[in-house]
Amino acid sequence: MQEVIPGNAQLIEALSALGTAPDAIHHKVDTFGNGYHWFRLDTPRLLTSGAEALHQHGARLAMISAYNRRQLSEPMQEACYHFELDGVIYNLTVTLNGEWPIVPSITRFFNNADWHEREMMELYGVKVSDHPNPRRLFLDEELDAGILNEVVPLSIMMNGACSTDLWERIMSDKEKKA
Amino acid sequence: MSKTFTMPLGPVHVALEEPVYFRLTVEGEIVRNVELTSGHVHRGMEAMASQRNLIKNTTLTERVCSLCSNSHSFTYCMAVENVLGIKVPERANYQRVLTEEIKRVSSHLFNTAIQAHIIGFKSLFMHIMEVREMMQDLKETVYGNRMNLAANCIGGVKYSLDDDMVRYIQQSIDKVEPAVEELREIYATNSMILARTKGLGYLPKEDAIRLGVVGPVARGSGLERDVRKDSPYAAYPNLDFKSIVETGGCLYTRSMLRLHEIFESFKMIRQICRDLPGGPIVAPMPSVPSAEAVARSEAPRGEVFYYIRTNGTDIPARLKWRVPSYMNWEALGVMMRDCNVADVALITNTIDPCVSCTER
Repeated sequence: MQEVIPGNAQLIEALSALGTAPDAIHHKVDTFGNGYHWFRLDTPRLLTSGAEALHQHGARLAMISAYNRRQLSEPMQEACYHFELDGVIYNLTVTLNGEWPIVPSITRFFNNADWHEREMMELYGVKVSDHPNPRRLFLDEELDAGILNEVVPLSIMMNGACSTDLWERIMSDKEKKA
Repeated sequence: MSKTFTMPLGPVHVALEEPVYFRLTVEGEIVRNVELTSGHVHRGMEAMASQRNLIKNTTLTERVCSLCSNSHSFTYCMAVENVLGIKVPERANYQRVLTEEIKRVSSHLFNTAIQAHIIGFKSLFMHIMEVREMMQDLKETVYGNRMNLAANCIGGVKYSLDDDMVRYIQQSIDKVEPAVEELREIYATNSMILARTKGLGYLPKEDAIRLGVVGPVARGSGLERDVRKDSPYAAYPNLDFKSIVETGGCLYTRSMLRLHEIFESFKMIRQICRDLPGGPIVAPMPSVPSAEAVARSEAPRGEVFYYIRTNGTDIPARLKWRVPSYMNWEALGVMMRDCNVADVALITNTIDPCVSCTER
């Protein structure tokens, strides 16, 4: 018997139009019969059209995952937007520009994208255009944006724990202030 | 001269379980605006996950949160099973749901207890914690631990329950159920509880949709949002239970909803004890492909969502998760609009917040 993957045909058609590469679209079902649809969009700019279509159908933004595809030293970043509608998951993936990773904000369609986009900015250094509240979410301003793109050598990481560096820095900061 | 002034609350506060900072703009005793700053317990767990193999990550994800610990390892294992194409044995699916529902009862009781504590009803707080202690004993007897149960593994569960243990679980539930019924009665009728919770922290349905809230916060505002029903997983499709949805949208509604949900959990625990199928408890792990998958489940606080990306090795290229509290924090801005300063901590507790989970 042929397997039926649940999903909204109209929405799938609208989202399929945003990715033209041969492997851009695939549909899956898990062992419990729940449907997952994956779309790779041609450019990050198309996210706005995708988000608008999902919003019109009453979908909910569940999560945004940013990640690096290659080795850490030569990042090629992608972001995957996960939406839910009637128990079915729709995933939109965009490949970001290596030099200037930027995505449009989808907060005007999904208010709850605010935190997800801010997290993507601070952890992966992805720029989000037209974000209404682009301040830090969890990390302190002193830390560089895109901390997960960096490889931090163990010696640097351990400085505070096994040498006097941290203490000396605090003392010199204190002296400067005085 | 401006009539409003700014008031800090937290990050360390007697009524908050975990550190979070609220910047309240108040006019007299009334809160006009709330700004939230978090990040005090960010642990970089997602970075740690991409340095451990798939099996070690089961242990790591269980430590994201103590109250929803089982939901994390459960959902993580489902994400790995989706990416590897593993079919979990039926007995393991039942045992996974059993653990999940036992944890849900404890978690909801804890939230209800803290609510009584913040209200200042100390005797009720101790009463609820005493009832919860019976569930803690149950967990310790069955799993060996009170919080991190370590019940799940990739492909199934770690231990098979024998008949004696199943009987013990049933007997424990028979003892706990009347005690929770008594608590529900107190919550429904006590004048002090009603005075502090009814009509407070109102979240309209439109705002619940707009903010994408999940779990009891969503269901308390009339949204039928429950992963166990929307996309049934594990043994949930075979179990008879109701997803409780209420329309009151206030603190009282959400507290009662959690108490009602406990009885649905009891119902499921009894069904599982009665119908637990035999057979193997774990399926073998095949080799790891380069692929990606997502999985989600209904934790006590709402939907938990996992994304995994593998690169052909046993160490995931990316593991990302989103906890239910992450979606519910922003709702506090709506719930606290024009409330009294004295109610801020009480309203915060109504989303059953988990800061460590949110920040990972």
